[in-house]
Amino acid sequence: MGALAIKNVTKRFGDTHILKGIDINIDSGQFLILVGPSGCGKSTLMNIIAGLEAPTSGEVQIGDRVVNDVAPKDRDIAMVFQSYALYPTMNVRQNIAFGMETRGVPRKEQDETIARVAKMLQIDHLLDRKPGQLSGGQRQRVAMGRALARNPTLFLFDEPLSNLDAKLRVEMRTEIKQLHHRLKTTIVYVTHDQIEAMTLGDRIAVMKDGVIQQFGSPEEIYERPANLFVAGFIGSPSMNFIDCHLAEQDGAVGVSLQSEGGARFVSLPDGQRFAGHLGQKVILGVRPEQIEVAEEDEPALLCKVHLTEPTGPDTMIFTQINGKEVIARVHPRAAGRPGDSMRLKLDLGKVVLFDPQSEARLG
Amino acid sequence: MTQFNGPAQYGFAERWLPRLVLAPSFLLTLVFIYGFIAWNGYLSFTASRLLPNYEWVGLAQYETLFANERAWVAVKNLFIFGSLFIGGGMAMGILLAVFLDQKIRGEGVLRTIYLYPMALSFIVTGTAWKWMLNPGLGLEKLVHDWGFTSFTFDWLVNPDMSIYTVVIAGIWQSSGFVMALFLAGLRGIDDSIIKAAQIDGATLPRIYWRIVLPALRPVFFSTLMILAHIAIKSFDLVMALTGGGPGFSSDVPATFMYASAFTRGQMGVGAASAMMMLATVAAIVVPYLYSELRGSRHG
Ligand SMILES: Nc1ncnc2c1ncn2[C@@H]1O[C@H](COP(=O)(O)OP(=O)(O)OP(=O)(O)O)[C@@H](O)[C@H]1O
Ligand SMILES: [Mg+2]
Repeated sequence: MGALAIKNVTKRFGDTHILKGIDINIDSGQFLILVGPSGCGKSTLMNIIAGLEAPTSGEVQIGDRVVNDVAPKDRDIAMVFQSYALYPTMNVRQNIAFGMETRGVPRKEQDETIARVAKMLQIDHLLDRKPGQLSGGQRQRVAMGRALARNPTLFLFDEPLSNLDAKLRVEMRTEIKQLHHRLKTTIVYVTHDQIEAMTLGDRIAVMKDGVIQQFGSPEEIYERPANLFVAGFIGSPSMNFIDCHLAEQDGAVGVSLQSEGGARFVSLPDGQRFAGHLGQKVILGVRPEQIEVAEEDEPALLCKVHLTEPTGPDTMIFTQINGKEVIARVHPRAAGRPGDSMRLKLDLGKVVLFDPQSEARLG
Repeated sequence: MTQFNGPAQYGFAERWLPRLVLAPSFLLTLVFIYGFIAWNGYLSFTASRLLPNYEWVGLAQYETLFANERAWVAVKNLFIFGSLFIGGGMAMGILLAVFLDQKIRGEGVLRTIYLYPMALSFIVTGTAWKWMLNPGLGLEKLVHDWGFTSFTFDWLVNPDMSIYTVVIAGIWQSSGFVMALFLAGLRGIDDSIIKAAQIDGATLPRIYWRIVLPALRPVFFSTLMILAHIAIKSFDLVMALTGGGPGFSSDVPATFMYASAFTRGQMGVGAASAMMMLATVAAIVVPYLYSELRGSRHG
């Protein structure tokens, strides 16, 4: 069953187009991530889903009803805000109860719900405190509790973790994921953190300038990015982009790569699919972990290490291919030191090619 | 470590210079505010009439004061004026602020228009409203000229109603100021709190009543303090608008005090009434300051 369908939604503020025709469709129980750089219209889209703002055109469907003319309170949604948006003069209990009170839920049921939610989020001991007396992480929990009390068909999370410190953010990320496993409620989650996007989402919509650049599963987005923007935005460190010429040599389609050790032609697997672009400039996209240390007997690129960045489990090697800085993620024991030369090879099965003009993925 | 070996005079100047600089204004305050309060307090126990006179009469002036019908009218008027002026000004101001907070067009212009009366002195306000409310000149004449000759609006010259004209002018002058204070407070409230409440299903009045206005409690109290002391001190507005009349029907303590001390040759009674006003203000301000200071120390 469809849980949320957004059909050709646009939004204009005066003369500025913020959303330019958004189409999204997700099934019940899915975890949708809206990810994109600041100002791309994520919150605007979220507010349109919530009914806090009206779309300029297009249709929003929650469950199987079109909700364009339905008030926020009647959309059966709950929302968690970046700033938590707790009611400052009410204590935690009243904050959680406010929505139920407004909807006329009987007192006894309210108390049961508060007890259930407080237990689930471990905020029992905070119920009589005011928001001002809570830490950031605790406020975040209360904001989640307020949303959970509603038991909605759709949760909307607008950057719920971005005000937390790094450690807490990772913890809460796991908790949100567990919560989703337990409740199986559909979630729309806005973030500009690509790690959050990859770890949490079933479906990811990558947005830029009010346009969805790609909509798909995390694997699709990571392995088959639709264009340069998506490729560069998802993944940390970013995908390496190497300028090349697509050429044919001995019947194989490939590119020539120039490193400190000299130039070498590498043929692309299944290269014939790029035959139409032979002789043209292309951008070769290689993720850092797709650059590996070559075995003794394997053909390899001899690369000089400019800089290393140990991260613990891996070490990032900075080198140059075709005049572009390239990062390789290698095992710390295999990593050379700055000034050393390393024998590297590309995992060609996974590399992608982009058209430098249209920036779209080829093949 | 060198700073401890420096000349002793250095530390001395450091310590005394600020005090020296502040001394003149401190001295002026001491003499012209607290000194005169004390002098006035002393005068209220003397037989002063047209001029100060130091013959001690104990509480006689206070007895005269409390026996004076005109003084009681002034006190009653202060209560009527104070409560309606504070309540009305506050309600009007909050209402205007809430309306202006709805992201309406031309907000800047409206805000200036509403705030403008506060830039006028009470004398100007009083005089302008005197003309407007004058039956032969203003509103009543206007409506008569339109042909509704049965219309009467004579509060300004009606002893039972004259104090209410002061209330009208006072609210007109202060509500823009209250609005500005509350608008600043409203702007400080996170937008997403209101969005959250909308999703929770609260109507706009309920959002303001349950969430937004309670969050503005500190603004509310500051405004109350400001309006209360304007009300208690109100003198110029009454002087310009009604002059305390007709008769003494719109007298307030300040005009009563002025009239006693300077126009009717009862300086002792005037001093006694001034002391009573001081006591009233202190009764409001002292607990407020106490709670504020204690609050900030715990802060
Ligand atoms: N009420 C409004 N009037 C005019 N422009 C607006 C309004 N609200 C948002 N915008 C503009 O719309 C664009 C998108 O805003 P939005 O809040 O959706 O961004 P976002 O993707 O959520 O960014 P962030 O990651 O920083 O939260 C911004 O350029 C913003 O300036
Ligand atoms: Mg946002």
